[in-house]
Amino acid sequence: MYCCYGHGGIPGRGARIMDNPLTLQQRLLILLSFVTAMMLAVIPLPDSVRLLRPDWVSLVLVYWCMAVPERIGIGSGWVLGLFLDVLYGSLLGEQALAKALLAFLALHFTLRLRMFPRSQQALAVGTLIAISDLVVIMIKSLVHGTPPLWRDTAPMIANVIVWPVLFTILREVRRRAKIS
Amino acid sequence: MGTFLGWSFKRPSNLAKLILFACASVALMVADAHHDRGVHAVRGTILRAGHPLQELAALPFGLVRDGKRDLRLNSRLRQENARLRARVRRLEIRASRLAALRLEVKHLTALLHGSAIPGYRAGLARILDVGSGPFKQNLTLNEGKNDHVFVGQAVIDAHGVVGQVVSVNRDTSEVMLITDPDSGIPVISERNGLRAIVFGTGSLHRVKIPYLTVTADIRPGDVFVSSGLGGIYPPGYPVARVTKVTSNPNLAFLNIRAVPLAHLTYHTHVLLLWPRRHTGARGAHHG
Repeated sequence: MYCCYGHGGIPGRGARIMDNPLTLQQRLLILLSFVTAMMLAVIPLPDSVRLLRPDWVSLVLVYWCMAVPERIGIGSGWVLGLFLDVLYGSLLGEQALAKALLAFLALHFTLRLRMFPRSQQALAVGTLIAISDLVVIMIKSLVHGTPPLWRDTAPMIANVIVWPVLFTILREVRRRAKIS
Repeated sequence: MGTFLGWSFKRPSNLAKLILFACASVALMVADAHHDRGVHAVRGTILRAGHPLQELAALPFGLVRDGKRDLRLNSRLRQENARLRARVRRLEIRASRLAALRLEVKHLTALLHGSAIPGYRAGLARILDVGSGPFKQNLTLNEGKNDHVFVGQAVIDAHGVVGQVVSVNRDTSEVMLITDPDSGIPVISERNGLRAIVFGTGSLHRVKIPYLTVTADIRPGDVFVSSGLGGIYPPGYPVARVTKVTSNPNLAFLNIRAVPLAHLTYHTHVLLLWPRRHTGARGAHHG
């Protein structure tokens, strides 16, 4: 399927290979990873730890955008964000917009992200998520009139730290399930 | 290129998709911010769908919380257990002491009813009042003429001679303690049979033994028992123990201090002694 990038150009556009659809099991596995990420995101934690909680959903979304850009993309991100909005109790569409943007960015940089060494990749992914978070922060400050806080950057740092580990785990899962 | 119901169409670019979804997001946000009913319905639906997720997420924490509570309870129970154990031990010791006391009581009762002091019958009397002063040391007992108490009757406790009855009322009697300045008891030394008289000093904790010459064989620790001379006190009953012997060359007699052996400042009961008739001691109670 990598050959598709050669003439397909940007992944996700015209690159969908119709004769290699995901099986139900594989779809469920991806869904499960998102559900797990969402669970981790809403687990009640003490304030001090919550600050350092990585944005699990974004990380997983970026991973799947990188791994199967023909399957997981902007639409998936948007729906995912909608769920998150409800879970967080934020303005409906806020996270949806952010996640759609994140998916777009991830798709756009997929090839480059794949080439990066792990540490650089982590930084790049962290930056992408930070950009999408910035959107959320902007919307929040627009709607609620609250200025952005420095503490909002703490999860961004956690993202960078966690990414290599998460990447390794999810890659293992993907290989076991033969999702490609 | 993709196909949809036979129509061939160009798949939208990612950017187009992003713009589309962004517009949808903004529309949703605006609607949500204006409390649109439809948007709320959407939110409610998703929330219901996501509720099991939240439950699931909270589950391990609930378990941990419950576990922590159980552990706390456990440790509290442990502590309580240890405390109760210690208490049981204390109480057991106390109970065993109680058993010993009961034994002693039994023994004393036996003493009372048996012939602990030959020739005398003993009766328990309760102390009603204690008069203690430098010139008068007395007890008021709850036994009187009606109980056949008589003047000159000896009063003892478990440890020694307490005193003698000096006045009898109908239902009460007065006892002059051996520590009363007016009291004197003929005694002999348990160690060597030295005869002496123990006088009271006016203090509950001290008696004196005057009129012993410097040559008398007397040492601290000597116990004097009643000699029976004078007929008031039963012979051979402990009276006082010598604590200090000092001799002053200017004086003819030794200065001897002693402590009464009867527990004058303890307990609430004393024993009244009635001489048995056949001994013929009754009536001979004037020293």
